[in-house]
Amino acid sequence: MQFTIPILHSAVTIMTPLLLASMGGLFTELSGMLNIALEGLLLTGAFSSVVFTYYTGSMVLGTLLGIGCTMLLSAILASVTLNLKSNVFITGLAVNLFASGLTVVLSFYLFANKGVVVFDTIATLPLLGPPSLAKIPILGDIFIGHSLFVYLSWLLLGLSYIVLYRTPFGFRVRATGLHPEALSTLGMRPDRYRFASFLISGFTCGLGGALLTLNLGAFVPNITAGKGWIALVVIFLGNKTPIGLLIAAFIFGLADAFSNFAQGALNIPSDFILAIPYLFTLLAMVGSSIYAKKKGAIES
Amino acid sequence: MLDRKPHQSRRILPTLRSSAGSFLILLIALAGVVVLSLLLSKTPAKTLRYFFLGPLQNTYYFGNMLTSAIPLIFGGLGVSLAMRSGNFNLGGEGQIYSGALVTTLCAIYFAPLGLLGALLALCIGASVAGGLAGLSGFFRMKWNTSELITSFLISNAVVLVVNYLIAGPFMDPSTSLIATRKIPDSFRLSALLPPSNLSTALFFALVAVVAVHIYLYKTKSGYELRMTGLNSRFAKYGGINTKKFIVLPMFLSGFLYGLGGGFAIYGTYFSTIKEFSSGMGWNGLAVALIAKSRPSAVIPAALFFAYIEAGARSAMLHSDVTFEIAAIVQSIIFFFISSEVLLTLFEKKRREL
Repeated sequence: MQFTIPILHSAVTIMTPLLLASMGGLFTELSGMLNIALEGLLLTGAFSSVVFTYYTGSMVLGTLLGIGCTMLLSAILASVTLNLKSNVFITGLAVNLFASGLTVVLSFYLFANKGVVVFDTIATLPLLGPPSLAKIPILGDIFIGHSLFVYLSWLLLGLSYIVLYRTPFGFRVRATGLHPEALSTLGMRPDRYRFASFLISGFTCGLGGALLTLNLGAFVPNITAGKGWIALVVIFLGNKTPIGLLIAAFIFGLADAFSNFAQGALNIPSDFILAIPYLFTLLAMVGSSIYAKKKGAIES
Repeated sequence: MLDRKPHQSRRILPTLRSSAGSFLILLIALAGVVVLSLLLSKTPAKTLRYFFLGPLQNTYYFGNMLTSAIPLIFGGLGVSLAMRSGNFNLGGEGQIYSGALVTTLCAIYFAPLGLLGALLALCIGASVAGGLAGLSGFFRMKWNTSELITSFLISNAVVLVVNYLIAGPFMDPSTSLIATRKIPDSFRLSALLPPSNLSTALFFALVAVVAVHIYLYKTKSGYELRMTGLNSRFAKYGGINTKKFIVLPMFLSGFLYGLGGGFAIYGTYFSTIKEFSSGMGWNGLAVALIAKSRPSAVIPAALFFAYIEAGARSAMLHSDVTFEIAAIVQSIIFFFISSEVLLTLFEKKRREL
């Protein structure tokens, strides 16, 4: 049992990029676009933030520039999808392929290295947590002592709840997904809200990606390793609500933290452990669709 | 005979016009190569020369380019079949890889059986891959789970399991590679263009194209599959068992991917090397998208993709850019290939005139 608290603590860190990416993805999802580009956007955020932090020497500036790059890519994605009328699924794949290619090409061009690039001039992420709060038994051990990104993600989650359910903008985003024609009839352009949703997903993925690399002080090729896809599943499992996202992201964080722990402690081949999140996601997907089908059968 | 000529030319012109958009997109992608070389290379002229002419400069490079097109043809056919039925198969990576591994292991086991053993091994390997894809189809049929996401998830897990099997229980300790033992010599396909890797697997790929074409357009099952893809509800009212055409196309799609993996082993690699097929599944998907799910168009699309990869490899060997520029060029194609605006650009202009 003495491992439980460290596992829960690291689950909170691990879930944060998932939570951020799925939060942005929630906006695009509600606006009626299946955004599979989350993976590529996260990767872009991860690479550009750490590189800009390295060149500017400032973590804040680096992260902001990284978010800027990610939003630029999401703007390209949005305009190709909406203005050139492309299939959002295929343009999403394009973003993922583009990000995985570009990060390696740029890493080779800038640092003559296609593998792991370690930035030793970058300081470690400061961990926040007043000692008085950290003393709270169990809860303090789990929720206190994380980086600013973690607390920022909770703040943004609250904010996205307010925006989606308490502002005209949020109503219109959701209306775009439910019934775009209704919006057009009222003289509003559904594509504008879709475009804005893509930009929001670029913002949150940029932030989530920055946590991945700044936490390590290094860039590893394909550092996101499927996190963007899992974020997509988090949206579905979380029933497309902000609170649902939090719960689903925490479950995945826990699964990941446990598999990290198991890799060290139990004698299971690492490839099997790496496969756990995917199998777990698969089970969750199938399980939730069985549940939805049963529920639908009862209601009708 | 005389009155057929105008009819034919009427058919050719719209085809040309509808293809003009695709050509425009391929041109944009090639322009991307030029821009990337100018930005990233210190010797852009040299890079461009090797990128565009490298794959064609001798039989070795040319043969290898054709070799890498073979799994793309199989994968492209697989995805096309699934898409024609209204399903998406995103699990090509795991399906090729597992198909290759199972084929290799069975081939080693069936060595005494000769030709029959070779065919059996190929079929079992492809069926395992087909089963993995079929599972996603089954989930969708049964509980309406998105086959797009489950096929991707299953594939990711399968890749890791295959990695474990190759590096663990089935590793050949006698080589320095992380790979299985080699298949028997008698199972290997003969070389076509030595010293390149090209083998007679190319002919099997062409046979597969013809077979899929005949299945889709000349058989009842193929017709029902296409109808289900065009309008599932309509097909259902017409008496077609649409549930069957969720599982069957997914199975066939995985089966074709698995065949691609098996033929890569029989023709080129002779043993399953760790991550040898990485990227082939995604590229197969891209090929199907460029070909707009038409089996006959899969061949040129696969050749174009193989050309870009071979060009990037040649530019990497002879100049100062890295191979991953191929991924960027391919992503440019992905960005634009489904654009209604670009694809119908030329058609619209004609109509307005």
